[in-house]
This record gives sequence, structure tokens and C-alpha cells, in this order.
Amino acid sequence: MGTPVKDVTIPDSALRSLILQKHCDYIASYGTKKDDYEYCITEYLRMSGMYWGLTVMDMMGQLDRMNKDEVIQFIQQCQHECGGIGASVGHDPHLLYTLSAVQILTLYDATDTINVDKVVDYVKNLQQDDGSFYGDKWGEVDTRFSFCAVACLALLKRLDAIDIEHAVEFVLTCMNFDGGFGCRPGSESHSGQIYCCVGMLAIVGQLHHINADLLGWWLCERQLPSGGLNGRPEKLPDVCYSWWVLASLKIIGKIHWIDKAKLTKFILACQDDETGGFADRPGDMVDPFHTLFGIAGLSLLGEDKIKPVNPVFCMPEEVIRGNGIQLELL
Amino acid sequence: MPGDKLLSKWHGRLKVKTTAEQQEAKRKEREKKLKLYNAGTKAAFKKRENGEYDEEGLKITGEILAVNPDFYTLWNFRKEIFVNFLQTRGTDEVQKIMENELYFLESCLKVNPKSYGTWHHRTFIMENMPKPDWDRELQLCNTFLDYDERNFHCWDYRRFVVMMAEVSLDDELGFTTQKITTNFSNYSSWHYRSKLLPMLHPDPTQPAWVQEDVILKGKKKQQISCIHASRKTKRITVLLTRPIMVGRGNSLILSIHGKSVAGQWKTPTGSSSFSVLWIKDLTESIPEEKEVSVSVTLIPDIDKDTQFSQGLQIDADQEEAWVMADFKSGSRFSNELSAATSSTLETELESIKELHGVEPDNKWVLLTMFSLMMAIDRTHSMYKLEIRECIDQLIKVDLKREAYYRDTKSKFILQSILETQDKNAREMSLKDEGLTALYHTEWMLLLTSIDLSNNALSTVKSLSNLRCLKCLCLDNNHLKDLDGLQHCHQLCELSVKINDLNSAEDLYILENNKCLVKINVYGNPLCRYKDHTTKIKKNIPSLLSIDDNKCTSAPS
Repeated sequence: MGTPVKDVTIPDSALRSLILQKHCDYIASYGTKKDDYEYCITEYLRMSGMYWGLTVMDMMGQLDRMNKDEVIQFIQQCQHECGGIGASVGHDPHLLYTLSAVQILTLYDATDTINVDKVVDYVKNLQQDDGSFYGDKWGEVDTRFSFCAVACLALLKRLDAIDIEHAVEFVLTCMNFDGGFGCRPGSESHSGQIYCCVGMLAIVGQLHHINADLLGWWLCERQLPSGGLNGRPEKLPDVCYSWWVLASLKIIGKIHWIDKAKLTKFILACQDDETGGFADRPGDMVDPFHTLFGIAGLSLLGEDKIKPVNPVFCMPEEVIRGNGIQLELL
Repeated sequence: MPGDKLLSKWHGRLKVKTTAEQQEAKRKEREKKLKLYNAGTKAAFKKRENGEYDEEGLKITGEILAVNPDFYTLWNFRKEIFVNFLQTRGTDEVQKIMENELYFLESCLKVNPKSYGTWHHRTFIMENMPKPDWDRELQLCNTFLDYDERNFHCWDYRRFVVMMAEVSLDDELGFTTQKITTNFSNYSSWHYRSKLLPMLHPDPTQPAWVQEDVILKGKKKQQISCIHASRKTKRITVLLTRPIMVGRGNSLILSIHGKSVAGQWKTPTGSSSFSVLWIKDLTESIPEEKEVSVSVTLIPDIDKDTQFSQGLQIDADQEEAWVMADFKSGSRFSNELSAATSSTLETELESIKELHGVEPDNKWVLLTMFSLMMAIDRTHSMYKLEIRECIDQLIKVDLKREAYYRDTKSKFILQSILETQDKNAREMSLKDEGLTALYHTEWMLLLTSIDLSNNALSTVKSLSNLRCLKCLCLDNNHLKDLDGLQHCHQLCELSVKINDLNSAEDLYILENNKCLVKINVYGNPLCRYKDHTTKIKKNIPSLLSIDDNKCTSAPS
């Protein structure tokens, strides 16, 4: 018998093909409704929101519809004296938004529009003696921040600024019996954290620490009968995990261990043909976050109407290669 | 960014059809809320700008954070207020205000138990409070884990409390037992036990890090497993048990006749990465017609005392020589078990087999049987048939993960063949084994000939480890490219009949394989072009025979 599987059923009416233009229109109009309630109360993550929107537009080939100058000016206003970048003007600096800003500037090939040396100092100063990273000066430690730090510096070609060996050691102390990783030493494995840790190890060229068979099995077990992927055992499927799990599998060379056709069907069913955009699950409300990860997931699954995505940085592969970054995946 | 489950707002919002009237009402309500929200935010930012760290600041930010706990800048402002209180107010007063903060946080967590910011703020308060009550915090964790036994934020906070309050690990193990009794399928509790048990019951014979590394992560002790030296290619190849990066944390010293030899170590693919195989091309020939002694020493930078060496002798008449370390049967691919552990596992296997009799199609029963048999039978000889049957049955009952099971089966087959084969063998047949993936190719380092025909391989990348390979048969696989083989510099004969090679260009990767004289691509899609042999010959000039036809002269 055992525990019943938590899952969703895909309705017969669900979309089966990609409505690309509608997604572009959804994202293009999202940033124009600046008085909208949802837009305002998510200001605390604006920088990441912009990264999601701009990246997905680039992957769909319509980045030119967005206002580049406005974006760059906004980022400049968000950089603080300490070098770190906040989510919005007047919001505190944090590694999460510093990475988002650097990702956006990389898309636009415009990292020289901010003070890069200060960003590097900011990131470097957040590293602790045990190799871990604080998210900001208040001292929260999380493997997500290890990824942010390393990804940010890799895009700025300044990885030499931090102690990589210690950074790797810390991430490895967060490895678990199932081959996965959690937030901190002792924390349970979680697909989002796994993506961060696997991505971090990929950037610094140390994927050999990963037990790819063990972790790959745990990751492919995330696929549910609906085809969707969950983030941890006994949880509901969610489009953003089609990204965290799938990208991790791609990095460790085991993407073929899931049923691609079923996952594609699940992701496509999360589109909303009235509004454009993707939701977490079929029938829910859409948002830019799930729209990026839906599109990025489909790219990894081989959808040719979308540009190939880099599984580590979640940015177009052409941008990463154009930036001279070559990662060795397993 | 990952982990932005700080997006609690954007998860699980069911889209409901609403009438125009309802929409208008909602719009108005939201407009009102937004006005208040914006005014509050403005007031909070203003106070902070003016350096007003006071109760009013707590009140204003509190109202906003209660509805939007992910507004991290406001938590930071609150922290600044508390830092200020700690410096300017009496201990009792601060204690009181911080106790109130804990109540406030509790109410926030009830509304949104998965907010990173709220949990971190609680950590901050507890770390800075004059008289923290850790028992109460443990109770709070119990309450929240009763409400949601998988809330990883709360589990993490619990581990922080346990550390600060020095709660005994036995008590914590008891807590997980109780959780598991209520719900057996509680992954979070099982995970916690995986951390607690090794701490509670350390293996007295092994230091803790060894247990974690060896048992949980399957790491092997570092060792030089093989050294191969060739007079003909002027090349030394070293195989280790654990991957290293020469120059980064480790030095690898090659000596010939006791004299250290300069030159760069390379990985088989030439990439700058961690590897178990390291190759050095000598600038000078190994002296002919006399005995030559070669030795390799591995020196880890951090612990120079743990260095070790391995040596070999090339006799006067030998073109090549090698030394392969002795390894206990079954020790290369699995961990050693004590007799007691083995007997426990055998008893387990007996009971799970009974369960299998009742529920023959249960995936988890099959998986458990498989894992147990793999662990007990380290040479993969005892349960050879049963393990194969087990995997075949798993493919039937869990078709979604067919590729995983097939790869696992391939790994098992390769391990059992490598276990039984003579360690110095130069030839190997893996024909008709149903292989979908290649594993452990570093242990095929010495092979000069391998038959991999009639399998289901779609990549041969890892054959780059076969440094001595001369003869390779890959007929009847699913290969779309030959990536990997460009590194097999000794390759003379290659047969890739009936694969999925689409154009002659797929073979150009072999243009620098100077020893390649014979190739057979019969039955590939590329043969539909009549000029394919001409093209191949032109790009791989060393070839003397293509598809069993002699190519006599090089085309201009």
C-alpha cells in the first residue's frame, strides 16, 4: 500500500503546444503596469524579477522589446557604496540581487556600466572562514549564496578573488546520504539547493565530488505520474522544479533518466492561453518566475523555438559562450 | 535566483473565474491596501534615513512585514533598531522588547511558515537576547513541525536550537522516532536520522570523517592503481583511485632511474580538470636495450607525510611495461562490510524476498532487493541472474525511469565482468550485453582490443580512457558521433557498422589519429552518399582500408 502519491491531473483541455508570442506579450506588458498591486508588493525582489523577464525574453528572441537604457540606469541606482546591489532603489544590498544584476548586465554586455571592482569586493567580503557565504552583512548562511557568489564572480571573470577550495569544502559539508544538498550542514536535500550546489561545483570545475548515479536517481525520482517534477519527496509537482531538477540532471549528465515527453506535456499544460505566461501547476495563476523556468525547462528538453539555455547560469548559451565561459559538465 | 520560494506569493494560487463586479470590488480593495502599504513603506524608509531607531519603527515595519514577510530591507531596519536598543537601553527593557518580538515573529510564522527572512530574524533575536529561553524555542519547533512535518526552515531552525541549547542527540533521535511513528513516510525525519545515527554510534575503528567519506559518499582511499610505460609512444600513464588535479593540491613526481623528469601532466582529454588518469609525454626517449626503472610519487600539498610511490621496471627487450596494484576481489566497486553487517543484510534480504512473493510488482520492494543483493554480493557473482531479473522487472513496473534502470544494469554488468577478468588482460568482449552506458573505463586502461558490438550505446566519450586501444568494434549501436575516440592515439582498426552516423564529417574528429589504418562504416546513414569513402580518406589520410575496400592511393 504505502503513502498515496501527491500529484495533479492534467485536464483534457490543457494546452499541448507552445504559445510563444503570448508569453512574450505577457512579459513585455508586465513591467508597464507599475501601479499594479502585485507589481508594487513584489518590489523587494524587483532585480530578480527583471532578470527573469529579460532572460526569458532573450531566450524567446525578443529582448529588443525591453528598454535597455532604463534597465541599466535602474541597476546603477541600486548599487550601494559597499559595492553590493539591492533589489530596488533604496533597498539594501544582497547577494541574491547582486547576482541578478550581474546576469542582466551580462545579457546586455554592459557589466562596465557599474563599478565591477566594488561588486567583487562586496562578494569577497561576504565569504566566511569556513568557506561559506553570508547573503548580506546580517549573517544568513545558505548554499544558495555560495552559488550566487561564484556565479557572479565567474560572469565578471574574477573567480580568483575568493577562496575557492574553502568554498567547495563548505558546499561539500552540506551533502547528504541521498547525494543531494541542503541549505546548511545538516539540512535536508532540496532540488533548489541541489541546483545551487551542483551549479557551484560546475563553475569551479569540481563536479567529481558528486556521486552522479546516486544523486541522479534521487533527481529522476522527482518525476510524478503527471510527468511534472517535485522538489522533494512527497511534494506536489511545480514548473520551477522542471528547471532546478532538469538543469541539475543536465549538469551531471543524466538528463535522459527522466521521461522527456511526459515532462514536456506537464510544462505545456501550465501555460495560460488567456494571459500568456506559465503557472506553477495547470490551472494556477501565471507569473514571470514560472514563465522563465517553464521556457528554460522546455529549452533543455530540446524545444527548437527557444534558444538553447546554459544549465548552470540559466541564461542563453550564446551569451555564456560569448562571454568566454566554457564549463565541463559530466 | 534559485530557492526563491521567497516567492510564496507566487505558488499555488488557483485561478478562479470572477464576475466583472467581483473584479471591481477586488480592485478597489487592493487599491486601498496598496495605499496603506506604500504609505507605510515610505514612512519606514524615512525613519531609517533619519536614524530614528524606536518603537514606532517597529510598529510601522511590523504592519508591513505581517503581510509581506519577504521585504528583507525592513527586517534589516528592525535589526538595526534592536542593535540600537542593545546599546542604549537597560537589559530588562531590551529583554522585554525582544520577548515581544518573538511573539510577533510567531504570529508572522503562523501566516507564512516558509519565509526565509522571518526565520533568520528569529535566529538573530535569539542570538542577541539577554536571556534567551531555548526550551521555549524547542517547543515552538515541535508545534510548527506538528503543523507541517516537512517544513525545512523549521527543521533547520530546530538544529540551530538543539546546538545552542545542547539538547542531547539521543533526545533528538527519540523525536524523529516519534515523528516516524505518526507518519512512516516522513523524509525529513529519516534525513535527520541519517545525520544523528553516525554521531550517536561512531564506528570505533574509524575516525568520523572516514566514515562519512567512505560509507556515505563511497569514497576510496587514495592509491596508485596502475602505472603504464611505453617506449614506443614515450608516454607514462598513471591511474589513481581518487580524482586529483595535478598542481592544485597535489604534486605528481615521475622519476626515471631515480632522476625526476620534467614535463607537464595531462588528462586523457587534455582538459584542465580533476581526473584519475594522468599522462606524461616524455621529451626524450626511454633508453633502449637496457633495464629502466620508473617510479611515480603522489604528494598531497596539505599533508606531505601521506605521500606514496609506486614503481616499475621496463626490461631491455620490452616495448611497454606496467604494474597493476593488487586489489581484493570485490573491493574496487563496493564498500567492505563486516561479517555482522553482511549477516544482517542477508536476513533483511530473506524477509524482503518474502514480501516480493506477495507483491511481485512493487517497485520499492524490487529496489530494496536490488540494493541488498548489490551490497552483500560484492563480486556480483552470487546473485548474478537475480540482479538482472530484478532490474528487468523494475523497467516493466516503472517505465518512466527505464533509462536509469538500463544504465544501472550496464554498470552492474561492467562491474561483474571487470571483477572476474584478469587484471592484466589486454582484450575484452562486451558483445551483446545490452549496454546503454559505459562505466569504469579507467579500469580498461590496458586493453588493446575491445568488442562492444550489439549494444545500445549512444556515446563513447569515456573510451578516451583506453590509452592502449588498437582494435575497437562498435558495430550495431546507436552512435551519432565518435567523440572520445580522438584521444585513443593508438587506435588502428575501428569498426562502427550499423550505427547512426549521419555524414562523413562525423568521422573527421579522427583526423589526427595517426595510427588508424582501417575503418568500417557500413550500414550507417552516411553511406547513402556515394562519395563517402573518398571524403573519409581525404580527411583521414592514414587509412588504408575503408569498408573492407583497400584505398590504394591518396586522392589529390
